[in-house]
Order: sequence, then C-alpha cells, then structure tokens
Amino acid sequence: MKSNVSARARVRAAAIAALMGATLLAGPALAQSGSTITGGFDVGPGGLPGNFNPLAATSGFTWLNTYYEPLVIYDAGLTKLEGALATEWTISEDQREITFKLAEETWHDGTPFTSADVAFTIGLAKDAASGSVLAARLGAIDSVETPDERTAVVKLSAPDSGILSTLSQVMILPQHALKDIAPAELAASTWWSTTPVGTGPFKFVKYAADQYVELAADEDYRLGRPKTDRLINRYFENPAAAVSALRAGEIDFTYVEPDDAKTFDGNDAFKVIEGPSYVVNYIGFNHQAKIWDDVRVRQAVMHAIDRQTIIDSLYGGAADAANCGYVGDRLVPQGIDQYEYDPAKAQALLKEAGWDQINGQKPITWLTYYGTPQAANVMAAIQAMLAQVGINVVPRVVDTPTYNSIVYKEGTPDWNEFPMVYAGLQNGPNPAGINVGLNEAQLPPDGANIMRVQMPELTAALDGALAETDQTAAEGRWQEVCKVMNAQLPWATMWVANRYGVASTKLADFVWTPAPAGGPFAAHPEKWSRTE
Amino acid sequence: MTTFIARRLAIGLVMLLALSVLVFVLLRLAPGDPIDAYINPSAPLSAEALAALRARLGLDAPLPVQYLGWLRAALTGDLGFSTQRAGVPVLPLVLERIGPTILLMAAGLAIAIVAGISAGILSAVRRNSAADVGLSVLAFTGISSPAFLTALLGLYFFSVRLGWAPSGSMTTPGAAFSVPDLLHHLVLPAVILSIGHAALIMRYMRASLLEVLNQDYVRTARAKGVREFWVIVKHAVRNALLPVITLIGSTIGVAVGGAIFIESVFNWPGMGLLLVSAVSDRDYPVIMGATLVIGAAVIVVNLLTDITYAAVDPRIRVS
Repeated sequence: MKSNVSARARVRAAAIAALMGATLLAGPALAQSGSTITGGFDVGPGGLPGNFNPLAATSGFTWLNTYYEPLVIYDAGLTKLEGALATEWTISEDQREITFKLAEETWHDGTPFTSADVAFTIGLAKDAASGSVLAARLGAIDSVETPDERTAVVKLSAPDSGILSTLSQVMILPQHALKDIAPAELAASTWWSTTPVGTGPFKFVKYAADQYVELAADEDYRLGRPKTDRLINRYFENPAAAVSALRAGEIDFTYVEPDDAKTFDGNDAFKVIEGPSYVVNYIGFNHQAKIWDDVRVRQAVMHAIDRQTIIDSLYGGAADAANCGYVGDRLVPQGIDQYEYDPAKAQALLKEAGWDQINGQKPITWLTYYGTPQAANVMAAIQAMLAQVGINVVPRVVDTPTYNSIVYKEGTPDWNEFPMVYAGLQNGPNPAGINVGLNEAQLPPDGANIMRVQMPELTAALDGALAETDQTAAEGRWQEVCKVMNAQLPWATMWVANRYGVASTKLADFVWTPAPAGGPFAAHPEKWSRTE
Repeated sequence: MTTFIARRLAIGLVMLLALSVLVFVLLRLAPGDPIDAYINPSAPLSAEALAALRARLGLDAPLPVQYLGWLRAALTGDLGFSTQRAGVPVLPLVLERIGPTILLMAAGLAIAIVAGISAGILSAVRRNSAADVGLSVLAFTGISSPAFLTALLGLYFFSVRLGWAPSGSMTTPGAAFSVPDLLHHLVLPAVILSIGHAALIMRYMRASLLEVLNQDYVRTARAKGVREFWVIVKHAVRNALLPVITLIGSTIGVAVGGAIFIESVFNWPGMGLLLVSAVSDRDYPVIMGATLVIGAAVIVVNLLTDITYAAVDPRIRVS
C-alpha cells in the first residue's frame, strides 16, 4: 500500500517536472521578424530609464539620440562638434550670432523639418515652465530668427563659449505636434512616451512599462535607411541584471561596472569598450566645517593617499590621477604639484597645522552616493591611508536623493552631516562643467557648489575661462583654473576613471562611448547591424 | 451580516485614511524628495531649473495643503501623476501592475502548495527514512535562504549558465504576446518565489500529518481494514490540511514581500518593481497610490476571509 502512494507521488512529481521542463525549454514562442538589436542603453550612470522627454533629461542622451537629433553633436571621441540636423554653422565676428544651415529631413510622421522647429524647440528649452532643465544654460540666447526654412540664426545677448556645447543636448522637437500643448502642460504630456516623432534614424514604436522601448527603422532617413530593422532598449534594475542578460545572449550591449568588464577579457563573443568617464572623482572638503580651513590639512590629505596604488590595484590601471579638476595635457599646465604619496610629509603638515587641536582623532563623517562594490573598496583603502596619518574618517553611503537632500539643504545645515564627501563632477568634453561645483556664484541655493567653496582667486579664474570665446586662449584660461585648484585645493582631486560597455561581437559598426550624461555623441545608429 | 459588512467597510475606509496620512508623513520624514532624486550629482541643475521643477510638482506648497490637495483628488479617483514618468497618471499605472503581481504570486504559491504538501506527506509517511531526512534538509535550506540570494543563484544557473529560462521581463521584448512566451518567463521567478513557502508548507504538513496519524480515528480506520492509501488520503491528510490551510492564508501577505525581491531581480513588471523604483525615485504620488491600492486590497481580502469563515463554519459568528 505504501508503494502505491509513493508511485502516485512519483507520477505527480514527474508530471510537474515534465510540465515545467517543457515550459522552460519552450523558449520565446514567436521569433522576431527582421533584424533586431537589443541593448541596455539606459543602464549605468549615462542612462535615465523611463525618461522620454529630452527637455527634462539629466542623462540618457545615448538612447534619446536614436530617434531625436540635435543641431550639432560631439563626435564619438567627444573631441569636437560636428553637424547633425545642421549641415554647417558659422559664428559672427562679434560672437553674438550663430547661423545654422539645416539638413533636408522629414519628421517620422512625414511632415517636413524646418527652421520653425528649431526656433520652437529653443524657445521651449529656454522656458523653465516647460520643465526644461536647460533653461539657465541657454540664458545667453536672445532670439532665434528664421530667414528661410533651411536657415536658423541664433542671436546671443553676450558671447558664450559653451553655447554650442549646450545646444548639442537640445534635441529638436516637432512644432506641428507640440504647439498646441501649453509649455506648463508639456512635462506631464503622454505624447513623449506614446506618440513621439523625431528626425533620427529610428522611429518610436512602443514603450512596455518598465520593460523596454521599441523603435523601428525610419525608411527615409536622410543618411540612409538603418541597417537593422528594430532597436530595443531593455530596462534593468541594476547593471548586474543587465550583465546576466548579456551573458545569456538576450541583449547585445550594456554598460558594465569595471569589475564586470574584467570578466569579459579573452571572451571572443564579446568586445569590451573602454573610455574616459569625463567625471572627476574628488574628496570634497566642506569649507563651512572649519576643520579644513588650513591649506596644510588639505595638502596632508592629498599626500596621505596613495592614488597610484589605488588606480593600479582597484581600477586595473584604468584611471588617471587628477591634480586639479581635469586631466590631459591640453588643460593641465606643466609644473603643478603632483602630490606624491608621502605619509611622513602628510603627518608633518598636520602637525604644523595643529591638527590635534583642530580635530585630532574625532571621527569625520565621509558622505557618498557611490554604492558600488568598487567605490566601497576605494573608500576603505582611503580610510585606512588617512587613519595612518591621524585623520579618522567614517564612510557613510546613502542613496542619491538622500545625498542631495543633505548637501543641498538651505539655510544653516548641520555641516557635520557632511564635513567630507566622495563625489564626482562632469569635467568634459567642455571643462566648464566643473564651474558649478566651485564658483562662489554657485553656492546653494543658486547653484551646485555643495562644498561651499569660497576662494576669490579660483572664482576669478573660472569667470575668466567661462568668458573666453577664443578656443586657444580658453585653454590657457582653463590651465590657470587648474593651477589655482592645484595650489588651493578646494577639493582633494583623486582621478578620472574609465568606464566600460560590453557589446556582442555579433554587432558591426556599433559605436558607443561612456559619455557623461550619455552624450549625445555621433553614434550613427543607422550603420549598426547584427549578424545572426 | 449586512451590518457586519457595512461596519467592516467603514472601519476599512478609516484605516485607508490613516494609512494615507501615515505614508504621507513618513515620506516627508524620509531624506530626499522627487527633486533630490532628479539631480544627477555629476551634472547638477541650475537653481532656476530646480525651482521650476519644485513648483511644477507642487512641492512648494505647505505640507497640509499638499496632503489635502492629494486627498481631495483621490476621493474623486484621481491619484495624480507620476513625478518621474512624464504624464503617466498613477491609478492606471498601479492597476496595470496588479495583474503581473497576482500572476507571479499565484503561480509561486500554487507550486509551493503542490510541492510542499506532496513532500510533507511523503516525509511523514516515510518518517526517518532517507527520503524524509533528505527532504527535511532541503526544507531547512529553503526556509533559511533569503529570496534575493535564491533569485540571483537561480538567475545565474538557469539563465546564464544553462540558458533554460530568460533572465528577466514578463515577455520577450518586441515579440507579440503569447501564452507559452509568458510561461517561459514566469517559470523561473515563480519557482524561486515558491521555494521558501514550499519548504514551510512541507514542514507544517509533515508535523501535522504525523500528529494525525497517531489519532484514534486513524487507528480505528486501520482496524476496520481500510487500505493504508485511503487511510492517509481520506482520513489523515484531510484533517492534517487544516493548519496548513491557515498557514497558506497567512503566507499570502509574506508572498507580497518576497515578490518585491523577485520582481526586482527578474524585472517583473508588478507592484513590487513599481514600488522599488518609486521609492528610489521618491515618486510620492506613485508610492501613495500603490500603498493605498495594496491597503485596500488587503482590507477587502480580510473582509472576504471573515465572511467566508462565517459561511463555512456556522460556529463563527459575524458580530
């Protein structure tokens, strides 16, 4: 009788196993027709999954640029601007007028693209009521004139060396589709995620909530019909999940963390793409916390940290030590202090400054929003190095909203909540990116100088560099900024690290670069193809 | 009965109101708001952009005004718009996520019930055998394994290494909907969700059945010459199931918590994934809307359970 029961149990178990196995092995029932490239295009720091509105985008431009286009765009190396919807542009001698000649193109719904769309879009982007996060950066634009359908003239109230760089993030929008929506209603419009039309090589098909976005080739794209029929952007809660999907062959590309990138070395099925992050990592000194007032203390922090060893061991050598807000020969002058690792010198500097009286061994909260294992290792290494010279820091990792709520707090915040931070700030392709974190005019609530840096010489150097419109002279100005930063140490600058993406070797002509905020950059998605 | 239902519904409404106040206050006490979530620390926004965003999202009004505004709209069925998803109203957003979560939970619990009860019976009937010890070890492993760990291990082995199951999503991106495709995506997260529950059910079933097998009426049935199979199935299992059914009922609440982990790991577009992303984005309207809908569902389910008890067991009075 017992055997009867167990026989039934076995039959039941076998039936369940068979059912589950059949379902597991069934695979996707319907094969996708045509060629498709699927990627995690919004994974990592350059992505902004769920955002469809380029006016409100703080990142995610890599993906947005597959169906929208700006007038001008950085090349894939982020070294120079080239034409996108503008075939050419000229700047007047007084630097107050930029004339764009526009490409012949139609919107995805067949309506011709004209200069009126350019004027309309810049008007929206300048209007903060539309939810545009670009409004302040476009403040120098007085008006946009449209002498004919293929010409747009942008008039500036004053020369602005960064205006073309800002315009590279202004995705041109269709006036005919959006003109009836009031600017204040635009940010909440469902148009963005249901029926958007752009001029890019792919056109919007659908958004499956929190799952993926699907685009289809624009048959009459001016640079040629895209080689692949469909482009799919899959959403992932974190980079690790995207890596699993990549390894399982479900996606062809994703951003990966540096530790994951190493695991693809020597794997012929994948190609690791490496590039500079254009984000400088720094240890921020809260200049209101008083314990960092003496420059010798700040110098001691720099000398106490063996940056090269951290770069070699934790970044695999894929980072450049930064002795000011950026790296590279063009912007960094010769002869600045290299702040070599020298714990003895650090101790001597602290002693001279009277560190025992200033703070001594009291714990100093070290706030960060970096939650990756690599950042944890870096901070643990730095914590140990600083402890060696007598600076007792205690890392505190919080999520980004919490971090922002602490460092941007208005009025008289408790400075001891963030006497020190570990953070990053965009420093390229335009070095002006660091201005928001260092200029006295950018103190919260007016700006993002969260460390409350108030150094008149540095502010003057930054203002001078921002006002310079001549390219060669501007580089000299930024070198001056670097020199002041290096001497006065508003932050302890650490490094500019590389970031990584991994693509299947089945992809051909695929271009991706770890651009800050996702670019945009000239990726030419119309050339991407995938071999089966 | 009508008075009972009306009173319970009234209490339920008061509880929902209290829940909304509690969630509203807790959200405001938590560090960071939707604007803080919006700022990319590496590429900060200007003060003007931040002020415009704050005004657009209504975050510049005093807190009581914000709450009363939300409540007034909620009473008319308008739960507002997501702050992070351009133009997406909260109510349909939340309602469309209930289906996937119920599907995942139902599949997970169904697997857990079938596997747990079967293993529990086998374990009890073959007490102290190798099968009993083996199943008990498996059950303890299952009970002690956190959902996120089993989810990641399952993902690694069955998706990455063996390629038997997709690594996430509910359907194949870009493919037309089909039931086999849905099941293909459902099996792995459902099985992983079921592990902990199956292990618990198995332990309860085993203990309960062992106790029942020693009861007089079982002995009597055997003495009357009933075949052992029928003794177990008809007499013992039926009675042993009662505490297990109670356990399964209380498991449903726990399953919601487990589903949040599983949905995050497998990118399953249910309430869990929605809540996790809403919390990390400080998307106040979505968090308020989701907790309100979940709260309403729990209140209604509890009420239905009480009514069912009363209908099934006349000894329970609804008063």
